[in-house]
Amino acid sequence: MSKANAINYKKGKEPHAREYRLVFKNVDRKGWDPGIDCYLQDGGYRELKKALLMDPVDITEDVKKSGLRGRGGAGFPTGVKWGFIPPNNTKPVYLICNADESEPGTFKDRYIIHQDPHQLLEGMIISCFATGANLAYIYIREEFPEGARILEKAIEECHQKGFLGKNILKSKFDLEIFVHRGAGAYICGEETGLIESLEGKRPYPRIKPPYFPAALGLYMCPTIVNNVESLCNVKHIIAMGGDAFAKLGTARNTGTRVLCVSGDVVNPGYFEVEVGHITMGELIHDLCGGLKPGRKLKAVIPGGSSAKVLRAGEKFKIKKGDQEIEIGIEDIPMDFDTLMACGSMAGSGGVIVIDDSRKASWILNNINEFYAHESCGQCTPCREGSLWMKKITDRITRGEASPDDVETLESVAFNIDGKTICAFGEACAWPTESFVAKFREEFLADTSEKYDDAILNPETELAAAHLSSET
Amino acid sequence: MIQAKTERIAYIDGVPHEYEGGDTLLNFIDRHHGRGQVPTLCDAPQLEPYGACRVCSVEIAQAEDGPRRVVASCHTPIADGMHIFTESKKVRRLRRNIVELVLTDHPLDCLTCEVNGNCELQTVAAKVGIRDVRYPAGKNHLDRAKDLDAAYMTSDLSKCINCNRCVRACDEIQGQFVLSMHGRGFDARIIKGLDESFKDSDCVSCGACAQACPTSAISDIFASKSIEATESTRTVCTYCGVGCNLEVKTKGNEILSITAPVDAEVNHAHTCLKGRYAFKFYNHPDRLRTPLIRHNGHFEEATWDQAYDYIAKRLTEIGKENGPDSIAGISSARCTNEENYLMQKFIRAVIGTHNIDCCARVCHSPTAYGMQQSFGTGAATNSIDDLDHTECILIIGANPTEGHPVTGARIKQKVMKGTPLIVIDPREIELTPYATHHLQLRPGTNIAMLNMFAHYILESGFADEEFAKARCEDWEEFKAKLRALDLDALEKITGVEKEKVKAAAIEYAKATAAMSFHGLGVTEHSQGAKTVMYIANLAMMTGNIGRPGVGVNPLRGQNNVQGAADMGCQPHQGAGYLPVEDPENIKLFEEFYGRPTSTAAGMKIPQMFEAATKGDLKALWLMGEDVVQTDPNSEFVADAMNSLEFLVVQEIFMTVTAQFADVILPAASFLEKSGTFTNGERRVQRVQETIEPLEGTKPDGQIIVDIMNRMGYEQPDYTPEGVLAEMAEVIWFFKGATWENLGEQGKQWPIREGGVDTKILHTEKFRRGLGKFHYFEFEESKELEAHGSEFPYILTTGRLLEQYNCGTMTRRTNNTKIVGEDLLAIHPKDAKKKGIESGDRVRLHSARGEVFMHAKVSREVKPGILYTTFHFPELMVNKLTSHVHDAETMCPEYKVTAVDVEKVAPDAGKAGAEIVPKKAAVTQ
Repeated sequence: MSKANAINYKKGKEPHAREYRLVFKNVDRKGWDPGIDCYLQDGGYRELKKALLMDPVDITEDVKKSGLRGRGGAGFPTGVKWGFIPPNNTKPVYLICNADESEPGTFKDRYIIHQDPHQLLEGMIISCFATGANLAYIYIREEFPEGARILEKAIEECHQKGFLGKNILKSKFDLEIFVHRGAGAYICGEETGLIESLEGKRPYPRIKPPYFPAALGLYMCPTIVNNVESLCNVKHIIAMGGDAFAKLGTARNTGTRVLCVSGDVVNPGYFEVEVGHITMGELIHDLCGGLKPGRKLKAVIPGGSSAKVLRAGEKFKIKKGDQEIEIGIEDIPMDFDTLMACGSMAGSGGVIVIDDSRKASWILNNINEFYAHESCGQCTPCREGSLWMKKITDRITRGEASPDDVETLESVAFNIDGKTICAFGEACAWPTESFVAKFREEFLADTSEKYDDAILNPETELAAAHLSSET
Repeated sequence: MIQAKTERIAYIDGVPHEYEGGDTLLNFIDRHHGRGQVPTLCDAPQLEPYGACRVCSVEIAQAEDGPRRVVASCHTPIADGMHIFTESKKVRRLRRNIVELVLTDHPLDCLTCEVNGNCELQTVAAKVGIRDVRYPAGKNHLDRAKDLDAAYMTSDLSKCINCNRCVRACDEIQGQFVLSMHGRGFDARIIKGLDESFKDSDCVSCGACAQACPTSAISDIFASKSIEATESTRTVCTYCGVGCNLEVKTKGNEILSITAPVDAEVNHAHTCLKGRYAFKFYNHPDRLRTPLIRHNGHFEEATWDQAYDYIAKRLTEIGKENGPDSIAGISSARCTNEENYLMQKFIRAVIGTHNIDCCARVCHSPTAYGMQQSFGTGAATNSIDDLDHTECILIIGANPTEGHPVTGARIKQKVMKGTPLIVIDPREIELTPYATHHLQLRPGTNIAMLNMFAHYILESGFADEEFAKARCEDWEEFKAKLRALDLDALEKITGVEKEKVKAAAIEYAKATAAMSFHGLGVTEHSQGAKTVMYIANLAMMTGNIGRPGVGVNPLRGQNNVQGAADMGCQPHQGAGYLPVEDPENIKLFEEFYGRPTSTAAGMKIPQMFEAATKGDLKALWLMGEDVVQTDPNSEFVADAMNSLEFLVVQEIFMTVTAQFADVILPAASFLEKSGTFTNGERRVQRVQETIEPLEGTKPDGQIIVDIMNRMGYEQPDYTPEGVLAEMAEVIWFFKGATWENLGEQGKQWPIREGGVDTKILHTEKFRRGLGKFHYFEFEESKELEAHGSEFPYILTTGRLLEQYNCGTMTRRTNNTKIVGEDLLAIHPKDAKKKGIESGDRVRLHSARGEVFMHAKVSREVKPGILYTTFHFPELMVNKLTSHVHDAETMCPEYKVTAVDVEKVAPDAGKAGAEIVPKKAAVTQ
């Protein structure tokens, strides 16, 4: 564990002074390469050696103490998740690294995989040792072919050094890790969909109950699915101890977090910061160099495209100590609990900044198009509803919607939210729910009553005629 | 009044009800309010909960006024004190919105749709109150092409609502994995195989998908979900020993379609294509519709009276002249228990001989005999439901996915969930890829194999000494014999490596509950009965008897072959397996039948044929048996038929054998009569008349009753309840059976007084007291010893899913569109040696005869082994099979024939395959 300033970084890629590089310590590091020798020279696999001498139960306890919350999106405490493996289990336990990083606006895991694969592997090996898994998979999205190749090479290197295989470092612990490439479906990032896909099936998420992965996961055996960044953190928890890790960040929101900022800022990119130590305003203005000249902040999607949008000018009530206080968007500390209190979520750490040059309906339509394309089609509300939301926002952006359409749009979203097997339902409904609620006037302004009775749709002849008459 | 404080109480809309462990909300609501109270589109009782349509959503809360949340009721487990709100404003709106979305992409042509009035989407839409669809017509899937080319299955996917029921039925019920969802989101659509038609896919036409589909998106050529039928009758399938329950839908005297009852314990909404779809034989133009009497070599139509008079006269004459033992009867395992009972009664009490046998002789007589020797009862020790409790499955000489498809599918499901499977079979069967162990032995070496198997159980220390000592006898002797075996020699004989056998033996023995299934690959051998006793040995030495999930479970061939033997259609045992030569039984029969019975056991089927050719047997009565096509060595059987003075055949079609008859009596099919069938797990089930007998035909039972009366024996008219009551008086294990108390699910015998039935046999002690270990040494088949050098290949035969035995019924249905001929499977190495390619015509010949057929080059057999089926009379594969039979029971050795094969010209042997009766030929 070193503070960012102790290490040299490539020119132009130096971390911001307010960053705290832990997981991203080696990203953009000068003279760094993904090979195992480089990693070992930097003290790599020291934590593995340490962990293998520990009692696996103590490692899990340490992870619980660290307060580490999953970095994939849901923010569920990692140690607690591990603890869900049934105590009298006699089946094999599997660990899966979820490297299906596909939430729009999120681009952190790929840098770890590309530049520091051994950090991930070390974290995984320790985690497998702690959970009793002798077989682990890295499920990596199809769009990361280079990442898959790098990981495969790193696994091979681990075998050569005795960090993987039989009797790892004479600990009597055996482990194999396999890289499994996805085939380009967003839903495979949902853990039970991922498991189905790994089993060679169509990635339809499983119903919970009964299929909670920690009890009935891969091949109906206890399975732990953790995000890349979460697993990397395990190495650092071993290094510094759970208590010390818990001191990073803020209470219940411990450690560091890689935030991926995109959109209308001067310097978009990734920033690893202590959780809750900076506010939204500081992130935008300080770390990202502010908004583009002459622009005003319109809104922020704080945790990947599925997080509910936060509007500039909104007032949020949060608890500070025993008191409830009201804050503006720029005062929101970037942590799990506060963002949730503000009605959104920290999600995958993808912060999308929107300035006043953008139209709300256009942004929402863009998001809706993604979710309509990625709905797996299993649950009726989502399969049918995601497409209808897209059709309606499409009409709104073209100025061919009636005011009633806005109401219908909302009702479709409410019909999906919480009414599907997996969280994709929320993911595709929340943008619509929040955008319409917070920018209703803007949406209504784009509609007209003259479309009330018209059967307007891109596919219908009437619509085609209408379009051609306009041009 | 139910108190809220008691355990297991939950509230439906404020009303407390008791729930059961494992209940989901939907089960719970269904049980108390009936199915349909909470609407659903993707849930079906025969499928696992799925949770995708969300129409079954309800609101739940831990207290009546506590915070509520919306959950899908189909997969949410119930909790104590839970409050369920099935019709809250919120869920009503949700349901309406979902169905509205579905309707945006569904054709609204209800009035012309085949499921109009029985469409679940229609019902749900009505129930949730859709009056309007707010979404403008847009992109949809209404132009999808229909798929109507397959033999039975049809699809019109414009009607698909993406509920995945069909995919789940294909996966969870049949295990065929033909249907799947392709694409995602709005573009998701059902595909068959690799996006091909039903016809081109690997679909086995079981119809589970059509039954599960809530609309007409997937259906069948009979439109089985339509409400056109006016009546529906529950009955039992006549095709195999599984005993599937069928729901036969009729209008007037016409059968429209068949479906599988969801609540049937035997088949849980499943059947194979034979049970569900192969029923159109019933009114085929070929059905016999009038009695026929041979005059001057030709059959002439006759009245029933003429036929009966003629038969009575001839049988009386022959009996008087040559004694009753010159007359014999062969009963039918396709007929009901009641009819079989009457048939043996007719032969025993009216004719006065024990010359009565049935086709169990040529299939499972070694099972009945062998299990009687070991356990005291010749029937399956356990039930098919025991599959739910077993930890290891051993299949010996059976091909359940083809021969017993519904049980085969259940085994496949169980194995896919991780239960180890051991297959002992000379051939790669459909289940082999799922098996942990496949011991691919040379045909005819079962005893050698099971000796090795038993040896390794003992050697590896997994034998259940305690059970063997306490419950069995001859254990020490058996162990000594096993220890002395020469394993190397056995390895050579079977052609299976010792280590493989050892691993499988350990797998079987170490399981806490292991269940064996066997079929004709065990029995149809010269050491058939011995092999059965060996399977019993394995079960006894591992303590796999008398508990759930264990036992010895023969997969009985015909629908009622268990029953035919139970009823006494055997020459040595009367009804209820009473030995006929026992003086006490002779007395009992005389008292019960009112006529003395013979004191000497009668002839078995092969002995009858032998006696006929020697002139000792003069007259034969065949009830529904095509012996010329199905018994071994057809030319010899034909000789026997030709040698008879008088042959009566009761049949539904003009079979090869019927052509030899002097009198043919047209019988009613199983769809046209009532009675009971006993399936392979001893379950006696009610067969119920679904339509009246075809004009001119009579139920077999009534025909027998008529002739009994005509010959001076008073027997009341055939009614299932009447005959059942009579049977129950003499058959101890039917004592508590009545037509009423058999109910919809039937009962497993022994049925004790009050109708208490028995799922598992030999729980406390064996029927014979102690279970008996038997040791036998392997003996080479006499067929191979005699002809092996001249005919270097071993032919083994079996059955196909699509055709049933001699095929009289299935060949007259669309099944023939799927499989229209018997093919010869030959290993690529042998094929290369012989210059044979798939599709080539070959001549297959043995010491008895020759047949011409097409070859299929396949690795399902090992080199040196050939395999074919015997369904088509154009081929008469049994011209090749031999006279060698099981030493104890005379069951023929169908499974081992020494043959040779050559490639021939494409048109070779096309003419002259038929066997022509002498009586017909003489006068023509």
